Amino acid sequence: MGVIREYLKSAISSIRNNKGRSLLTMLGIIIGIAAVLAVLVIGDGLRAAVTGEMSALDVATINVSLDVAKTDKCFTPENMEAIERNMSCIYGLSPSVSLYGNGKGTKKSYNLSFSGGSDALSENGQNKILYGRYFTRDDVNAANYVCVISQISAMKLFGYENAVGETIEITNGDITKDFTVVGIRENTSMDESYAEGEDPSLQGDVPYTTVALAYNKDVNTMFTKVTAYMHKDNKDEAAAKMKSVVENVLGIRGESAVKVDASSGMDSTSDTILNVVTAVVALIASISLLVGGIGVMNIMTVSVTERTREIGIRKSLGARTSSILTQFLAEAAILTFLGGIIGIILGLTLARIACAMVDFPYTVNPVLVIVVVFISTGIGLFFGIYPAKRAAKLDPIEALRAE
Amino acid sequence: MKKLVVIKDVSKIYNPGENEVRALNHVSLTIGEREFVAIIGQSGSGKSTLMNMLGCLDTPTSGKYYLHGQDVSHMTDDEQSDIRNKEIGFIFQGFNLIQSLTALENVELPLIYRGVGKKERDRLANAALNSVGLEKRKTHKPNEMSGGQQQRVAIARAIAQAPPILLADEPTGNLDSASSKEIMKIIKRLYSEGRTVIIITHDPGIAQQAKRIITISDGMIKSDIINPDYKED
Ligand SMILES: Nc1ncnc2c1ncn2[C@@H]1O[C@H](COP(=O)(O)OP(=O)(O)O)[C@@H](O)[C@H]1O
Ligand SMILES: [Mg+2]
Repeated sequence: MGVIREYLKSAISSIRNNKGRSLLTMLGIIIGIAAVLAVLVIGDGLRAAVTGEMSALDVATINVSLDVAKTDKCFTPENMEAIERNMSCIYGLSPSVSLYGNGKGTKKSYNLSFSGGSDALSENGQNKILYGRYFTRDDVNAANYVCVISQISAMKLFGYENAVGETIEITNGDITKDFTVVGIRENTSMDESYAEGEDPSLQGDVPYTTVALAYNKDVNTMFTKVTAYMHKDNKDEAAAKMKSVVENVLGIRGESAVKVDASSGMDSTSDTILNVVTAVVALIASISLLVGGIGVMNIMTVSVTERTREIGIRKSLGARTSSILTQFLAEAAILTFLGGIIGIILGLTLARIACAMVDFPYTVNPVLVIVVVFISTGIGLFFGIYPAKRAAKLDPIEALRAE
Repeated sequence: MKKLVVIKDVSKIYNPGENEVRALNHVSLTIGEREFVAIIGQSGSGKSTLMNMLGCLDTPTSGKYYLHGQDVSHMTDDEQSDIRNKEIGFIFQGFNLIQSLTALENVELPLIYRGVGKKERDRLANAALNSVGLEKRKTHKPNEMSGGQQQRVAIARAIAQAPPILLADEPTGNLDSASSKEIMKIIKRLYSEGRTVIIITHDPGIAQQAKRIITISDGMIKSDIINPDYKED
């Protein structure tokens, strides 16, 4: 062990004696390592930024859609309930329909942009009820004129927060209906930015059946898309079962008319783009590492030639083949290890700056850093083998004669 | 007297075939423990070849070499390395110090390859440097020292792990006369302390200081005499 320490010491002093050249040698490794690491960390940041809010919650979603080219079936209140009965692992299904219009409260009138859905919408993770209740399955089945609105909507329409029991008069075109406020939910960041915008609109949720009834639409032909809500631990199970359950309940055979999308918030094209970018940078980085490795081999070979006499001296004093081999391998490995460390610092700095500029979360997986350290050291060991073997095999007499 | 070096009918042939050179031609030689031998010969006579053989840096084309009774004529590179480390202290004409290391670090090298621990290594290396009068130069690099001082570092390195044989190849060849005298004085002292010293030289003035003088010419031993003029200091 003491011997290894001597080799490391001698390697470090040899690197220190040739600072400029050592740095040049490390450059390829530094650039390669910095590039890979920066791209991976920024990529992670991007993914986290896109999926971040959802994954922070316990709720997961799966979107199910019917291909209208292959089937004329639609989601109906009945078949949605049947699907729910067959899938105990989900909270429920909700279609989605928007309700726009002018809403009149006791204080003032505002533009509204309400979401119509089922009571399962209450599980979307952003519906923390502060006063009253969310609308229920009974409200949905009966198409009751009820709604849940955000805190800020209550303030704007009625001038106070706990507006449970108040009535909003909603006008769309020539149809006007009264909706009873049954619950007030906590604001989301969206609620406030919409309500305070230049063209303010207030947010709330209503049963989709009520929207259909109010505007004379048929709930049985409105929806070819629904969202399933579930605990995130159940997502894989639900995603696996969903297609066949929907096909069975709706009576669709073959033809892959049912599409199940279980991707996590980030749509698949941007995911693909990110993967392609990662692959391209990884390729460039690998080439850079390869070039860096060859540079190390080159410099080490020059170093062996320059230090032929030193090798002869060491051998005359009793250095074995393995001692010389280890010494030069250690030197190559330390060179690339240091290159790796500098590359890591550089790469993480770049990633940090980039993440800060575009407002991505910056997190570093320590395993990644450790792997990178091993890779860079491994490059030195691999590309150091050839020059180290050359050094170890030198004939002591000839080596001693060298100038 | 116990036999330390026994060479039996050793030949070394370079470029066997057309232009072959018989650098050593059926040489037999015995050197006992605690001897002080000079091997003298003209340039090209085969001195360095013999020294490489004696120092286990090279193996004979034919013949046998027994060192401490052990046949070392056909060994692997690593076995030779171990023998060199244990049995032989080299003193070269050109000092052969590693320029990037300090005096102390240079002296420590054979001890490192011996596997001696840091503390013991420090002690031995310091003792060796003290014994050649370099206690004030331990942290100096070779290029900060005179030729005589560098050769003293080399001597300290050769004796640090106490090998039985000191093998000096033209040890004063690169030195002025004052430094030469100093180095020869140290070498003689090392002999009188109980070591076997073999000096290889072309300089009769150096050879005359040894107790036994072997003359070599054309790869053969021409004479092997006890020096009648030898005097203890
Ligand atoms: N590596 C070698 N290849 C071929 N011939 C050599 C080699 N080394 C030495 N010789 C030859 O062997 C003879 C003895 O050389 P050497 O032992 O170096 O003599 P010295 O040291 O007495 O000058 C010389 O003729 C020399 O040219
Ligand atoms: Mg010679």
